[in-house]
Amino acid sequence: MKLVLCFLCLALFCSFGSGALAQDSAERLNSLEDTLKNQSKTIEEQQKAIESLKNDVEKQKSQELQRSQEESQLLSKASGFFGGNALTNPNISVLLDTFAYGSNLNNAELENRGIPGFTTLGKDARNGFNMGAAEDGAELFIFAPVDPYFNVYVNLPFSDEGVVLEEIFAITTALPEGFQAKLGKFKSNFSRLDAQHPHAWDFYDIALPYRAFVGNEGVGGEKGVQFSWLPSLPFYTQFGAEVLQGENDQLFGAGARSGPHAFSLFVKNSFEPTENTTLYFGPSVLFGKTRNSNILTDAEVDGRSALYGMEAVWKWKPSSREGVTLQSEYLFLTQRGDATDLTTATVDSLRRHQDGFYLQGIYQLGRWRFGARYDMLELFADSFKRADVQQYLGQTPWRATGSIECNPSDFSRIRLQYNHDRSGRDGRSNNEAILQFILGIGAHAAHTF
Amino acid sequence: MRKLLSALCLSLAMASPAFAGLNVVATLPWIGSVAKEIGKDRIAVTTLVKPSQDPHMVEAKPSMILAGRKADILMYNGLDLEIGYLPLLLEASKNPKILPGKPGHLDCSRFVKVIEKSTAVDRSMGDVHPLGNPHYHYSPRNVLRVAEGMTNALADLDRANAPFYRANFKAFAAKWNERQNRWQAVNLKGKRFVAYHKLFEYLANEFGFQLVGYVEAKPGIPPSAAHIQALIEDMKNSKPDAILTTSFYGKKESESIAAKTGVKTVVLPSDVGPLKGTDDWFAFMDKVMSAFQ
Repeated sequence: MKLVLCFLCLALFCSFGSGALAQDSAERLNSLEDTLKNQSKTIEEQQKAIESLKNDVEKQKSQELQRSQEESQLLSKASGFFGGNALTNPNISVLLDTFAYGSNLNNAELENRGIPGFTTLGKDARNGFNMGAAEDGAELFIFAPVDPYFNVYVNLPFSDEGVVLEEIFAITTALPEGFQAKLGKFKSNFSRLDAQHPHAWDFYDIALPYRAFVGNEGVGGEKGVQFSWLPSLPFYTQFGAEVLQGENDQLFGAGARSGPHAFSLFVKNSFEPTENTTLYFGPSVLFGKTRNSNILTDAEVDGRSALYGMEAVWKWKPSSREGVTLQSEYLFLTQRGDATDLTTATVDSLRRHQDGFYLQGIYQLGRWRFGARYDMLELFADSFKRADVQQYLGQTPWRATGSIECNPSDFSRIRLQYNHDRSGRDGRSNNEAILQFILGIGAHAAHTF
Repeated sequence: MRKLLSALCLSLAMASPAFAGLNVVATLPWIGSVAKEIGKDRIAVTTLVKPSQDPHMVEAKPSMILAGRKADILMYNGLDLEIGYLPLLLEASKNPKILPGKPGHLDCSRFVKVIEKSTAVDRSMGDVHPLGNPHYHYSPRNVLRVAEGMTNALADLDRANAPFYRANFKAFAAKWNERQNRWQAVNLKGKRFVAYHKLFEYLANEFGFQLVGYVEAKPGIPPSAAHIQALIEDMKNSKPDAILTTSFYGKKESESIAAKTGVKTVVLPSDVGPLKGTDDWFAFMDKVMSAFQ
């Protein structure tokens, strides 16, 4: 380029060879030369700039390639299902359960208020501030898959007195054909409220038949093994059987026999009559050896018991914001054995055929839930024979409950509940008011049906 | 007893599989719809969540557990959207085929370029999804990737029909290309919208509009009157183009704000199915884009 221009200039110079123009042309040539030099400089500078830009672009390209490779690696990585990294951290959640309690009865009366003919154990709640149903103010839950074959769950309730190992169990996940085994210490699936944790109940306290037959917390954590089977049928039917140590001190008793002495069988069924309704029901039985002194005030009972149950739940859920749940359970107890007087050691026979039921309804609207419940004992059966003589135990026990709940989020619940309780059989009523707070932090626990 | 046994045998006989193809269980309607595009009549799809349900607030039902029991593959949205019921379903359905790590366990979010991953998050901020925004079914680009992922998963489980699934994915991609041109022709660049819930972030990303405010101050927590009042004042000044909402999630609140500010509401379908003419995912996206016009 420069050369061509020079030749052109030379030619121009030659053609205007006359002396008169020589001075003028020399000046012109000089100025042309200057501009040329300047132009070539700018061209060089531009080339440099282009080259550095090229370098930048190439760098970016390689970076992008690296990033997309990293991304595709990330995408192909399987994530732990429960979210987060389940390999190093098990899922942990803590539950706070606290309530304020007020009753027309004083604390001593509450403590001694059993249900004559059923249980001698009184109420757990005391006037004023309380930590949790059954005094478990905090519960620590830990769960995680062990390997492709087992999941482990731990539930440790904390009370003022210390920690209890309420539940620790493994569930198999790899058995074929819908079979599953559970082993360790766990809550029996014998009936509905037993399997639920107290914070998941629709009221602050357990239904009256449970309190009467198995205690304030239900059967509670029992050591043993459970087998269940969900066959692939057109409808939902699950079969289950359990072998338990039998340590519940209301229905069984740790000292009733040296080995496992409690067994359960259950069937759970469900179908959906319409698009928005679900029906869930099933019979169950829990039977075994009994030996404890929580049934009679003056004697230890030693014998055999069988508790038959029937549960039914009807749910109507047209939308996430609204729904109705009706739930009822019926329990029937047969018990026969000996009652040994605690002071005189005389032995009488004891035969019981007693029953109880509850019916409850919950209406949910947005964050609010409104509940009502009616419990009653001795509905059809009230046979209580000591030394073959029917005992008069007092008035029929019953209770009526109303509640209002606000659930600000999935993790918090505020409940106001009122009980009119006539289970003391002495003509006196226990009018209870409860304001309860249940708050959960940590891993999101799934809701059971 | 004999009657009971014969009834049981009869029901067992009824349960014997009349359908030989893969049993696909999808959590959300759009997942079922895309799976159907790939598997056509060679798969049976069961969708767990109804189109009219809020996917954040689903409760596990025995019928879902039964569906999980019979599934050959479980396809779910992921990013913790199903955290309230899926862990329970996985365990209670007693079906090893659909457990994490198995070919029958498909977390669709694995194929997605996730946005809004939060590193510092706690529940005082409301129902924030720490793994990222889970509502990627509004994102055509991501749904195409999910469809490809599904195709591979189905082909992996059912080798005999692999060419069939791959051919269907090709048809899906071709249809996607044609529709994508149409959707991209809707010019939303530079528009400013207020939304009820954090549902439309993927849509904003792909179509170049801005979300300048939310009716919910914190996701999943109903807004306070004070927040709505502040939003109304703000909207009177900033004059956004519209309020985006879905047919059943915050529509009432959005409409009352619209009446007070003069800003119109745009009602988008929330998933495949709840509105007329949203029978599959393409129709759903058509409806979404046409709602803006």
